[in-house]
Amino acid sequence: MYLSDDFKQELSRRKFLHRAIVILGGMIGMVLSGIGIGYFISPVLGKKREDWVDLGPVAAIALDVPVKLEFVERRRDSWVTNEKRSSVWVLTSNGKDFIAFDPHCTHLGCPYRWDEVKQRFLCPCHNAVFAADGRVVSGPPPRALDRFPVRVKAGRLSIRPQVEEKV
Amino acid sequence: MILQWLDERTGFSSVWQTLFVRKIPEAKGLTAWAYTLGSATLFIFIVQAVTGALLAMNYVPSPEHAYDSLRFIDEKVLWGAFVRGLHHWGATLMVILTGLHMVRVYFMGAYKYPREMTWVVGVALLLLVFGFGFTGYLLPWDQKAYWSTVVGVNMAGQVPILGPYLAKVLMGGDDMGAATLTRFYALHVLVLPMISVAMVGTHLFLVVWHGISEPPEQKRDPGAAGR
Repeated sequence: MYLSDDFKQELSRRKFLHRAIVILGGMIGMVLSGIGIGYFISPVLGKKREDWVDLGPVAAIALDVPVKLEFVERRRDSWVTNEKRSSVWVLTSNGKDFIAFDPHCTHLGCPYRWDEVKQRFLCPCHNAVFAADGRVVSGPPPRALDRFPVRVKAGRLSIRPQVEEKV
Repeated sequence: MILQWLDERTGFSSVWQTLFVRKIPEAKGLTAWAYTLGSATLFIFIVQAVTGALLAMNYVPSPEHAYDSLRFIDEKVLWGAFVRGLHHWGATLMVILTGLHMVRVYFMGAYKYPREMTWVVGVALLLLVFGFGFTGYLLPWDQKAYWSTVVGVNMAGQVPILGPYLAKVLMGGDDMGAATLTRFYALHVLVLPMISVAMVGTHLFLVVWHGISEPPEQKRDPGAAGR
C-alpha cells in the first residue's frame, strides 16, 4: 500500500521520461560501444591461421642425410599477400617420420650449412656446430636447432614454417 | 567524496548545470521533435568520429591496398562490416539531418537576432559535412568512388579562370591517382575533423549562450525564459 502510493507519487512524468532517456540512451550507448570494442579487440579473438607449405613427394627425399629444400612461402599479412623465398633442412631416417629444421642458427639467426665430411651442421658466423638431429655440439647457441611442424599427407610432405616453441 | 573533491577543483557541476539543466522553450508534438534535430546531428557526428577512427585502424589510402583493406574490414574484422555500414549510412544521415535542422531553424526564424553567428557557423558546418561526404566517397577506391570523384573534380574545373588550378590542387597532380587518394584521406581524417571540432564547439557554445529560441507561434509571456 505504502509502496504503491510512494511509487505513484515518485514516478512523475518528468521522472519517467528522465529514466526512460537514461535507460534507452544507456542501452544504445552500450550496444554501440560494445560493437566498437569488439572491432578494436578483434585481433585477440581471431583464430590462428594454419599455413601449411607443400614440399613435394615424400619419396623424393633422401634417407639419413639432411636435405635442404627450397620453397615459396605465401603468407597473408592482413590485406597483403607476401611471397617469400625460403628454405628448410629436412631429415628422415625411414621416409615416414620427418624432422624439419628452421634454417637459421639459434644463436643469432645466421644460415648454416651441412658438412658432408664432418657430418655436422656448421654455422659460419660464430663457429656453431650442431649434430644431424639438431643438438648443439659446440659453440655459442643457447639451444638445439628450432623445428617446424611437419605433416605427411597422401605421400606429400608439408611444413608450417613458423617455430612453435623454442626449446 | 571524490566527486566533491573534483568539483571543487574543476567546477564541472556548474558546467553540467549550464549545459544540461537549462531552461528550454515549451513545445509539443512535431514542433518538439523538430528541436531534437540538432542533438541528433551531434550524436551522428560522434558516431562518425568513433567509427571513422576504428576504420582508420585498418584502412590504407593507397590504390593497391585501399579496396583490399576494406574487404579485410568487411570479412575478417569482428563486426567490421557493421562498423563500416554505420559510417556509410551515418554519412548519409548526417547530410539529411543537417538539412532538416537547417530547415527547422529557417522556418522558425531562429537564425534572427541575436543568433546570426550561430547560423553562420552552422552554414560552415553544413559545408564541412559536404566536404566530408565528398572526400569520404573516394576512399573505397572502387569504380563508383573513382568516377564520381572524376565528375566532382571536373565540376571544380568549370570554375572560371581558377578552375583548372583548383582541379589540379584537388587531385594533387595532373590526373586522378595515388596522390588524390592520400590527399582526400588527409582532408577526411585530419583537416576537416579539426576544423569541425572547432566549429561544433563554437556552434554549441553559441546555442547555450543565447538559449534556444521559442517556437514562433507561441504566445509571449514577458516573464518566461528564452532571450
